Amino acid sequence: MSFASTARSAPLVSAFRRTIWLVVVAVLAAGASCRRPPAPTPEVLALTTEALPLDPADGAWQRAPEHVAPLLPQDLVEPKLSKPSTPAVRVRALASASQVAFRLEWIDAAADDLPGAGRFPDGCAVQLPRSASVDAPDPQMGESGRPVEIVYWRADWQATVDGRDDTIQALYPNATVDHYPFEARSLQPGSEAQRQMARRYAPADAAGNRRGGLRQSAVEDLVAEGPGTIAPAPSTTSRGRGVRTPNGWAVVLTRPLPNGLGPRGRTQIAFAIWEGSAQEAGARKMRTGWVGLSMREAP
Amino acid sequence: MARVYNWQIGREMSYWYPESRPRKQFAAVFDTNKCIACQTCTLACKTTWTSGKGQEYMLWNNVETKPYGSYPLAWDLNLLDMLNAGSWNGGRYTGQTIFESAPAGERVLSWRPASDDYAYPNVGEDDCAVGVDGGASFSLPHMAWFFYLARICNHCTYPACLASCPRGSIYKRPEDGIVLVDQGRCRGYQECVKGCPYKKVYFNPMTGTSEKCIACFPKMEMGLQPQCFVNCIGKIRMAGYISRPEQARPDNPIDYLVHVRKVALPLYPQLGLEPNVYYIPPLNVPIPFLRQMFGPGVEAALKVYRNADADLAGLLGLFGSTESVMTKWARRGDEVMGLDDSGRELVRVPMREPVFVRPWYDKANNVFRVNCP
Ligand code: SF4
Ligand code: SF4
Repeated sequence: MSFASTARSAPLVSAFRRTIWLVVVAVLAAGASCRRPPAPTPEVLALTTEALPLDPADGAWQRAPEHVAPLLPQDLVEPKLSKPSTPAVRVRALASASQVAFRLEWIDAAADDLPGAGRFPDGCAVQLPRSASVDAPDPQMGESGRPVEIVYWRADWQATVDGRDDTIQALYPNATVDHYPFEARSLQPGSEAQRQMARRYAPADAAGNRRGGLRQSAVEDLVAEGPGTIAPAPSTTSRGRGVRTPNGWAVVLTRPLPNGLGPRGRTQIAFAIWEGSAQEAGARKMRTGWVGLSMREAP
Repeated sequence: MARVYNWQIGREMSYWYPESRPRKQFAAVFDTNKCIACQTCTLACKTTWTSGKGQEYMLWNNVETKPYGSYPLAWDLNLLDMLNAGSWNGGRYTGQTIFESAPAGERVLSWRPASDDYAYPNVGEDDCAVGVDGGASFSLPHMAWFFYLARICNHCTYPACLASCPRGSIYKRPEDGIVLVDQGRCRGYQECVKGCPYKKVYFNPMTGTSEKCIACFPKMEMGLQPQCFVNCIGKIRMAGYISRPEQARPDNPIDYLVHVRKVALPLYPQLGLEPNVYYIPPLNVPIPFLRQMFGPGVEAALKVYRNADADLAGLLGLFGSTESVMTKWARRGDEVMGLDDSGRELVRVPMREPVFVRPWYDKANNVFRVNCP
C-alpha cells in the first residue's frame, strides 16, 4: 500500500502523519547526537528553515529527512522509454517563508553534459500542481485547464554556467572551422552588427528559444497541461545547481512556494530523471507518480 | 494511427495523423544522369543557411556517390536492414512501411545516428561497385558502376519527422506542403532526427534545437527556385508543385515528368512517406539496385528516358534555364517555354543550342584559344 493511495482516508492519514512526524523528530534528535542521517520517509517533508542552501553539498541538507522515490519508465505515451534506467531518486526538501528547495540525488555512472547529434544530457525535474492540492491533476504533465509547474535542470546547462566555452570545440575538441559569417572583418568584435549576423544563423536564438548557448541559469521553469504541451513559463524565477557526486548527481532546485502552500500545508510533487547515456530526452524519461509533499516546522 | 492513402505505394497505410494534403505540394525532379558531384548545390545551401555555430556539420543538401556513399553514414542501409520490406505487386507495395513496422512504444521504425556518423561527409566518393580489373574500362558495357545521388529534404506528404515529434514542433505548411521545424517550439529531443529515414533533420548542439531544409521558402514564396536548384552546375534540378495523380496536368512540368511520362521516381517509396523529390534514375546501373531505391517503375522510366521524344527532351532542356519557378510549360516547334501560373513566358529555350566554332587563334587580342598548342 502506498501512502498516496491512502490520501483520501483522512483520519488514517493524519494518524500516519503524526507517527511519521514523531519518527522524524526522533531520528533528527538521534542524528544530531550521532550524525546518522534521518531514516527515509514515505513522503517528502520540507523542513522550514531561514535560508535555503543552493549548494548540494551544504551540511544543512543533512537535517532534512530523505525520501527515496522509486522511478518508473514513462510508458504511457509514445515515444515511450522501453528500458528502465535510473531506479530511484533520493529527495530532501527545505522551505523558507517564500521558497521551497529540493535536493535530488541519484546514481549515474557517467556524466553526460555534452549536447550533440545522438548525445543527450543528464537532467532532472520536479513537478507540482500550480496550486497546492491533494487532488492533483494527472501526474503525467497535468491536464487541460489544470496546469502543473515544472522546474527542469540539465547537465549541459550546468556545464555552461560553470564556465564551459560557447564554442563547437568545447563540445567536439577536434572540430575545425574555417570561418563564420559573424567573423567577417567588416564586423566590429562585440558589436550589435556582429551579434545580429550570428543570430541570422542561429534560428532558435532568433526566435527567443534559448535551448543552448551561453546562459545564466542551469534551470528552466515550465508549465504543462498534458503530454506534448510543455512550454516555458513567462520567466524563470527558480534557481538550481547540480554537482557530480562520487557515483552520480546531486542537484538542488529552489522555487517559490506553490499557491496556497502554508507552513503546515500539504500538496503533491512528482520527479523525473533523464539518463543521457540511455539517450533519454523529453518523453523518454524515468518518472514518479504524485508523491505527498508536506511542510514541517523544524524542531 | 490513422489510415491514409499513399499513391506511391498504391494503397492505404497507417500514419500517426489523418490524411491532410496541402493546397499545393512543393516538389522537385532531379536528373541523376546529369549530376557531376561538383557539390556546388551543397555549398550554395551551406552559404545561405548553415554557416553558423552548431551548423558546421549540417548538409541540408548533400551529394553522395552510390552505392557506397552516404551521409550520415549508412543512413539507408541501416534502415533497409531493419525494415520488414516486402515486394511489389505491380504498383502496389505488399511489405510494411516504417509506420506499419513501428515497434511497441515508438511512432516509426527508426535508428539514431551517433555524432561519428556525421564525420565522413563524402565517404565512398567515386568508389565503384566492383573492382576495375586491368583493361576492364576499355570494354563495354562497363561492369563497374556508380552514380551521384543529390539529396535534400523530401518535404514528404507523410513526414516521419513530423510524426515523431512528441510536442508537435514540426509542421507542414498548408499553402505549399513545405515541412518546417518551428524554432520557437522545438525542445531538442531529436526524435525527428531519429524518425526521418532520409536523415534530413540535424540537431544543432549550439542552439539546442533541430534544423532542416526549408526548401528556401522565402524564395519559393516569391516564385523563385531554391538556392541548390539555381546554382546547380549540371542543371539537373527543377522545382515546382506536384498534383495528386488523378489531378495531374500535362502542362505542369513536375506532373508531366512524374505522372504523365513516369520518368521521375520517388526515393525509397516503400518507406511510406510519399517523398516529393523525384529522381530520373541513372542509366547503366543494375536494375535490382535501382528497383530497391526507386521502386518498380524503374525499367519503364529508363525506357522513356532513353527514347526521349521532342516533348520530354524539350522539357528537360528547361532545367536550370531560369531562377523562376515554372508552374507551366509548353513546346512550340523546336522551342520550349517555361511559363508562370498566368501563362506568362518566363524563359524560352531552343531544343538545339546553336553551334559556335571558336577559332584557335584570336587575332584581335593575339591570344591562343586552345589548351594544348
Ligand atoms: S525527408 Fe525527412 S525531414 Fe524531410 S519531410 Fe521527409 S521525414 Fe521530414
Ligand atoms: S550542383 Fe548539380 S551537378 Fe553539382 S553536385 Fe549539385 S546536383 Fe550535382
